[in-house]
Amino acid sequence: MSIQIERGAIVAVARGSQRARLPGMAMVDSMGVVWKHWVESFRKNRGFSDIHGTFTQEYPEEPAKIPEAYRNMPVLLYDDETGHELCTSCYQCARICPPQVIHMTQAKDPVTGKAVPAVAEFVIEYDACMSCGFCAEVCPFDSIKMDQVFELSTDDRPSLTVFKHDLGRPISYYAGIAPNLWAEAKESALKKLQNSIKRRPDVLGIAPHLTEKIAARRRELAAAAAAAPPPVAAPPADAPAAAKKLTPEEKAAKLAAMRAGKGATPAAPAVEAPAAPAAEPASPADEKAAKLAAIRAKNAAAKGDVAPAAPAAPASPADEKAAKLAAIRAKNAAAKGEVAPAAPVAPAAPASPADEKAAKLAAIRAKNAAAKGEVAPAAPAAEPPAAPLDEKAARLAAIRAKNAAKQPDDASGPE
Amino acid sequence: MLKTEELQINIGPQHPSTHGVFRMLVTVDGETIMDLKPVFGYLHRNHEQIAEQNTYLQNMPYTDRLDYFNSMANNHAYALAVEKLVGIEVPERAEYIRVLMVELTRILNHAGALGFLINDMGMWQTQLAFGMREREKILDLFESASGARLMCNYFRFGGVARDLPADFMPRLADLLKAMPGFVDEMERLLRDNEILMQRSEGIGILPRDLALAYSVTGPVLRGSGVAYDVRKAEPYSIYDRFDFDVPVGSVGDVYDRFLVRVEEMRQSRRIIEQIVAQLPDATGSHINPKARQNVKPPVGDVYGRVESPKGELGFYLVSDGSGKPYRYKVRAPSFINLTPLGDMCRGYKVADVVVILGSIDIVMGEVDR
Repeated sequence: MSIQIERGAIVAVARGSQRARLPGMAMVDSMGVVWKHWVESFRKNRGFSDIHGTFTQEYPEEPAKIPEAYRNMPVLLYDDETGHELCTSCYQCARICPPQVIHMTQAKDPVTGKAVPAVAEFVIEYDACMSCGFCAEVCPFDSIKMDQVFELSTDDRPSLTVFKHDLGRPISYYAGIAPNLWAEAKESALKKLQNSIKRRPDVLGIAPHLTEKIAARRRELAAAAAAAPPPVAAPPADAPAAAKKLTPEEKAAKLAAMRAGKGATPAAPAVEAPAAPAAEPASPADEKAAKLAAIRAKNAAAKGDVAPAAPAAPASPADEKAAKLAAIRAKNAAAKGEVAPAAPVAPAAPASPADEKAAKLAAIRAKNAAAKGEVAPAAPAAEPPAAPLDEKAARLAAIRAKNAAKQPDDASGPE
Repeated sequence: MLKTEELQINIGPQHPSTHGVFRMLVTVDGETIMDLKPVFGYLHRNHEQIAEQNTYLQNMPYTDRLDYFNSMANNHAYALAVEKLVGIEVPERAEYIRVLMVELTRILNHAGALGFLINDMGMWQTQLAFGMREREKILDLFESASGARLMCNYFRFGGVARDLPADFMPRLADLLKAMPGFVDEMERLLRDNEILMQRSEGIGILPRDLALAYSVTGPVLRGSGVAYDVRKAEPYSIYDRFDFDVPVGSVGDVYDRFLVRVEEMRQSRRIIEQIVAQLPDATGSHINPKARQNVKPPVGDVYGRVESPKGELGFYLVSDGSGKPYRYKVRAPSFINLTPLGDMCRGYKVADVVVILGSIDIVMGEVDR
């Protein structure tokens, strides 16, 4: 039965029982199909047009065949030759990201304090990334691209919050995995990069793991030219705080200074920073907790709120729960527009590995509250004996908080 | 006189035959189903509320995660809705690519769904493996075009994310060569198979009027003898340019739904062949260059719908003029097709329940959203 309709027909499907067949013959037929497949399973499937044979790929031994367009996690490109990153911190990717896992801060000229088309901090939370590829699509500088590495399993969840240092990939790497896509983007990307480089003072915008190398190279050049009038560009060791990879002690010191400067008196201008007390016992792990604390203080400052002095609390690992709780409470209070009491327990500090989550959470909440223009909860910055794992979360928090704080009053230090 | 007692039992939510976290509250009398209440909600993840917090474009990858078997079809419905709301034109080539992807989706969905249906009947893994193999080839194509196998996120407002790669059409032609062989073989394996017929003929009958009353759509509705296909009823995109038939069943049992799906795979292949012949060769016009992705539709509401492989998939959007939807509602075919499950199962045996459920072809990601 079939009824003609526009460009087709309505066809009643023929039911098997309507066809004359010897009983049992269909079973024999079925067995024939299965049998054929069994026999054919001893040879390899020839391709798409072949429906017999196996097409098993012995995956770990045989590398997976990945098409060029394949996307997994975003990475940041930098130029092979100059080491300059293509990113100019335009925030397009951070804005479009559906799960909002991209965070960054813009680099600032350490001398003039003006924004530079380079990125100071860049974080992607791989664990929440949905691999949609919007960031790579929207990036006007072709800086953020989708990587094709999919073997990312780990039992170390914090390692899935990835910072600039680990996000960086040379252009040659991307050109290797996606030659056609890169060929399309190449010309404009490199042109834009040249423009950005012109506006980047010193080592700003150079991929973190190359910064030291390039700075050293420049110092060498400067020393070689010592007889001649000193070149302007020779970077003194303490110059571009944001771009250079500081030793942990330096960082912790710097951050402590920032915290001290900004946390206490909001209206006061930021203490120009890194005159930091080197006296502070900075364990390598310290830096990030310190940073987190600093940013919280900064947020509070930006809101015009009196941030209480950070209660230095040497925290034991057991503290983390309390910290978490404090953060939640602070957030709730903030959401209600209430003045949050200074958190009595020092939440930022006591980082056992597991603590980082709490820190991160607290920071995010602080940021959210700040974004609403509400009274930010008092930042309980603590002198931070933090465990190594804590640092990432704290750093992430710092960046977020900084972004949130940016609008009203940029009390930015040398960062 | 033997007296029996009714017993209430749960099938699911953690049960391999429920295709996800789905619970059926069953009243049985011996082996016979006296009553069945489908219980949803175990996979609820606030999809619609999240969507109202996102910009219009940001929702595109979230629609992938509704019916994760058919992300392309979900993308299509959502893109259609937004385009209708904003008034975005779609270039010819983009339309063809879209329809091509959606029809491939239909084939892979049915290949998988029938595999699972046969699996539920007890033909453990055989047809499923065959179906999955064909599905795999299509997923390879999807991956080469969109970058992902399941969460394609390929559609954009005014077109698709990127043009087809150079080797796509040759591979597609290769695939189409295998297609009739695969479907024919599947019919030979199953269509007249006595076991399949005994498990499916006269089982889970959904009468025509009941199907209409429940607003069932897709192969389930067509299996009940109603020739309703959104592609024919309200041709969207460029479906009015293709010749294809609408297969319908006559009884409305599991067997009819099976046959309808097999025939739909053939019809989809027919459409794809026409696309291959007609596809405009204008490289680069895969998206309307004037279409802004960061849309701010005028105040109003819109309902965009497509014939997804599972039925009528619709997105109802209300715009308040801002960049985010004020209201975002999904008309999920799986969800609505699942509601008459009680009526379909009443009077049959417990073993039939999984078969009937399999014949509806649900994806819990879409049912619960």
